[in-house]
Amino acid sequence: MSENSTSSQVAEVAIIGAGPSGLAAATRLAKAGLKPVVFDLNAAPGGQVYRQVESPQADLRVTGIDYRLGQRVVEAFRRARVDYRPDSRVWWVQRVDAGFELGVLHEGRSAVWRARRLILCHGAMERPFPFPGWQLPGVMTAGAAQVLLKQGGLLPEDAPILVGSGPLIYLLGWQYLQAGRPPTCILDLTPRHQWRLPLRQPVKAWHARGYLFKGLKMMLALKRAGVAIERDIDALEAIGDKVLEQIRYRQRGHWKQRPASLLLSHVGVVPETHLTRSLGLTHRWHAEQQSFLPVRDDTLSADENLWVVGDGAAIGGAVNAMREGTLSALEVIASHHGLTKEERHERDGLRRERARDLCARQLLDAMFLPPLNIDAMPEETIICRCEALTRGDLDQAISDGAEGPNQLKAFTRCGMGPCQGRQCSVNATLLLSRRLAQTPDQIGQWQIRPPVQTITLGELATPGVVENRET
Amino acid sequence: MFRRLPETASDSAEVTLWVDGEPRQVGATLSVAAALLQQHGWAEYRLHHDGTPRAPLCMMGVCHDCLITIDGEPNRQGCLVIVKDGMRIETQMPAAQPTPGASTG
Repeated sequence: MSENSTSSQVAEVAIIGAGPSGLAAATRLAKAGLKPVVFDLNAAPGGQVYRQVESPQADLRVTGIDYRLGQRVVEAFRRARVDYRPDSRVWWVQRVDAGFELGVLHEGRSAVWRARRLILCHGAMERPFPFPGWQLPGVMTAGAAQVLLKQGGLLPEDAPILVGSGPLIYLLGWQYLQAGRPPTCILDLTPRHQWRLPLRQPVKAWHARGYLFKGLKMMLALKRAGVAIERDIDALEAIGDKVLEQIRYRQRGHWKQRPASLLLSHVGVVPETHLTRSLGLTHRWHAEQQSFLPVRDDTLSADENLWVVGDGAAIGGAVNAMREGTLSALEVIASHHGLTKEERHERDGLRRERARDLCARQLLDAMFLPPLNIDAMPEETIICRCEALTRGDLDQAISDGAEGPNQLKAFTRCGMGPCQGRQCSVNATLLLSRRLAQTPDQIGQWQIRPPVQTITLGELATPGVVENRET
Repeated sequence: MFRRLPETASDSAEVTLWVDGEPRQVGATLSVAAALLQQHGWAEYRLHHDGTPRAPLCMMGVCHDCLITIDGEPNRQGCLVIVKDGMRIETQMPAAQPTPGASTG
């Protein structure tokens, strides 16, 4: 994988991702006189949460007031002295001595970069939520619906049905309501007792009050507008021949059916761990967030000269991601030329704010624990979408002797399609965990090798332009 | 199908996209996948190798269900490519029988 190092471009600090954490890290580093290079998969800065914030396609009345914060963050980033590289896929990263080598694909060409320090700000993805029929056209995620709204002011032609658990379901419902296209109903899969947790954990509820009030406000607005909110649902199916036509769900023991053209699902977000796993970092199962997280120390470092921050490390939301981005920049500054007294103050203040916010996060994690476990799904439920493998196919391989994720992959091709296992990896581990009565940590996840982003053979064969950018 | 907010539709620039040979006016800020969901809907977006129809799920570069032919190059991630004037898009709906076990990637 290693290229001739004379053809590589060099940066003191490289940042992967231009969402809230990457923007904050880059802006803070630039303020200290360190000019970082920022690689981002997207064409414009802002990440998923502040997508299209520089030329908004929907009114703030629809997208919500939090979007405005993103405008300020992106403006500061644009003013900062940063080598910003949009439309750039980092398709491999490896450690070289005390630093890193990165393969970066831009406009069909692959270039090699060397960086002494690396901050990973690659963000989260929506938790894959398999149920029978989720592969049908007409089933999309709530996050996808938000992308369409932000990127192009796109609204569903016909009123959709929203299903799942967590704040984004109500945010999207509220945004659609503001835009004059409320959903027909919301199927809230959060078990009733979890809604009562704030009463039992008043300290955490106090720290989370901002989030809780915002959620309540949106829920009330939806109810007032006549949007039905259905609860106590423990099974769900999407039905249709070539596209979604109906949904079925079991509510308090009774199956109900509704016509549906568009079903938008969401059960929370999880860190995207392909990059951190390909670097061989240790990941541990986090029971509250029900996901694998890269292990970091108190300075948010996961290894020498390597920091992992924002929702790509652990879910904490956009504001926390910005805080962590700034904190990682301060750690880089500290390791580069030391911190001034003011900078130490800044760091300590951010650490305190982060601790308070993470206290609130524990309550949100507990309230919105992902519903409908994978092993309880009917056997025809597709787990690996790319290879069209069902829960039954995977269970067959497990009973045939697949004892771990790598074996399951070899037996079935699970995780070997174009998405490279992003949609099925955790669910495969969870299924193995239940069937073999071992913890997710004992089961682990299959190995990730480069390329960590899809790349064509043509792109692989096209040598990158050598720009001499020694800084 | 998706439609544009009235205020967006009135003040946004548009480009011409050729979808299966037909010209379509689409918003200039949209990704190819978003433009197709607006203009074409999610039916007949792509046929998966198991013979079932598929359409974009996540719109943020993760699921790879938005794979589509852009300017003659198949299996591009439609959600990550912003539309350009004159771009040629082909939905991946072959009339041929699916090949069992063949990967789309």
